[in-house]
Amino acid sequence: MEYISLFVKSIFVDNMIFAYFLGMCSYLAVSKNVKTANGLGLAVIFVLFCTLPLNYLLDKFLLQPGALAWLSPKLAELDLSFLSFILFIAVIAAFTQLVEMVVERFLPSLYSSLGIYLPLIAVNCAILGGSLFMQQKDFVNVGESAVYALGSGIGWYLAIVFLAAIREKMAYSNVPRPLKGIGISFITVGLMGLAFMIFMGITL
Amino acid sequence: MKLKDTFLTPLLKGNPITVLVLGVCSALAVTVTLKGAIVMALSVTVVTGLGNFVLSLLRKGIPNRVRIIVQLVVVAMLVILVDQILKSIEATFPIDKQLSVYIGLIITNCIVMGRIEAFALGNKPFPSLVDGLANGLGYGLILVVVAFFRELFGSGTLFGLQVMPAGYITNNLVILPPFALILIGCIIWAHRAFDKELQEK
Amino acid sequence: MNTNGNIYTIVYTAIIVVVVAGLLAAAAVFLKPAQQANIKAETISQMLQAAQFETEGLNNAQKLDKYAEEIDHAFTIDSKGAKIKDLGVTRDNIELVDGLKAQNYAISGKSGFALGLPVYVFKNGVSIIPCYGAGLWGPVWGYIAIEADGTTIKGTYFDHDSETAGLGARIKDDPAFRGLFVGKKIAWGSRPQFEIIKGGAPAGQENAIDAITGATITSQGLGKAISTWLQAYEPYFSSIIKAEEE
Repeated sequence: MEYISLFVKSIFVDNMIFAYFLGMCSYLAVSKNVKTANGLGLAVIFVLFCTLPLNYLLDKFLLQPGALAWLSPKLAELDLSFLSFILFIAVIAAFTQLVEMVVERFLPSLYSSLGIYLPLIAVNCAILGGSLFMQQKDFVNVGESAVYALGSGIGWYLAIVFLAAIREKMAYSNVPRPLKGIGISFITVGLMGLAFMIFMGITL
Repeated sequence: MKLKDTFLTPLLKGNPITVLVLGVCSALAVTVTLKGAIVMALSVTVVTGLGNFVLSLLRKGIPNRVRIIVQLVVVAMLVILVDQILKSIEATFPIDKQLSVYIGLIITNCIVMGRIEAFALGNKPFPSLVDGLANGLGYGLILVVVAFFRELFGSGTLFGLQVMPAGYITNNLVILPPFALILIGCIIWAHRAFDKELQEK
Repeated sequence: MNTNGNIYTIVYTAIIVVVVAGLLAAAAVFLKPAQQANIKAETISQMLQAAQFETEGLNNAQKLDKYAEEIDHAFTIDSKGAKIKDLGVTRDNIELVDGLKAQNYAISGKSGFALGLPVYVFKNGVSIIPCYGAGLWGPVWGYIAIEADGTTIKGTYFDHDSETAGLGARIKDDPAFRGLFVGKKIAWGSRPQFEIIKGGAPAGQENAIDAITGATITSQGLGKAISTWLQAYEPYFSSIIKAEEE
């Protein structure tokens, strides 16, 4: 039950885009049509789902104050948390590079539809943001962090596909010249964000 | 490009937020108060400036295959240093706490990586430093404008001091994060209404 | 020189990693004392503000001095209200926020966490107890100062990680909200002992205050944190009140 609640919460209530605005750069840049948005969204789900539990283990057994106690009690005093940013981003960058190579080698068709987005994802704030929020939320086990990752990824995916669909239609509407393109997209996302706030009071 | 242009372009004509649409994430989240926005802007300026400088120094030696990782490592190091320093100064400690994860997210702030890729890897260290600083300031400019309106109408204060007359009912909509997006949309509107070259077809 | 060879790449990466790690470790070691001092001074200043001491305009060192001057004794208690351990009155006896989180687990009965609830008593008889719980976005916590009679609230101070600025964050930033607590009475024995009521507390109810408009979840979370922790402290304060009556 807790997992379901966490899952739904991370999709709708703690939505990466509408509640925290993470990954905005690629969100706005790659949402001109639904097809590419779909590809990037799937890549985000995948990378988040794989790196976040990995970073969770890293945090739990290496970085937290006293986390090294399992190695030897002498190390219990050590606090390596200042290294968390750098290790998280290294895991993410290395992972995306690895996946890119594997996918290119073995699944060329997937690579042509998804692979081009992978390098973009290493610098997508949503991925690093997910890991940093995970650190704050202190999950009790890997399962929770994986569910959270999956939910956040799906939330991001939904958000980008929604926006892409709206922008495809909007291309034909009569928007004031200076607002055309990026300006009106900002305002649209703002309104979507307001709409998503209705989920905020939900308790599961 | 002349040094003066390198410095002036990112402030208006090539502003990272309103024209290049880079680094938007944090622009939205940290602009509820002016103090937070200014600390964030300065942190980003320092990181982009130094990041550009260091990577421009290293540019001839970086192996191409690990280029992105080396960039990320250098940027992450700078961000950690900034975070640690903010935490250890008495005056900035509470602000660092308020900015929470968004300081860490400077690492993936597209401005930093974008400028390194687009400028620092092809230019000498000093112009790179100037370019980085100018981009940080251009980003900060938008942050401060957004934060000014949000703090003024959302809390009735500026820098935490009451400026709206007593009895002013604060506008809660302005404080909510989506409003920052709408505000930036309006800034883009105003900017492009003045500068017609930037309008999209 | 070939900058794309395997050996070059590996050596280059290794050098970068060593240099970066060295710099960061040095910075962390060098800056750690200042950071710890900031965290401690912040906690102490929050406790002083809860107990209505003037801390406006004091710097860190002065806050610590003020604390050392005013504190009488501090200790931890168990679920029966009996003293476990004397914390001493040095400046090192503060339960930092991480400690509160562990205590919150202990209160809710999670295994692996030993209960040891801190109580800080100032020379003027005011006791400070902490509380900790979940707000809308992240944890909320704070300090409640209780007068020597064991029921009247002298003052409070709350803090949070990431509540919405201007709405939920008012639990910390709005002196008017903190002011609502002053003079209220904790109804030991009833459930909940203290309430934060959406839409306004009824006039005359002494153990309740109004919730913050527009920050329902934060208010509810804070209310729950307060009542959960008060319940854990109830045996201790009941014994104090009894002792006073006798």
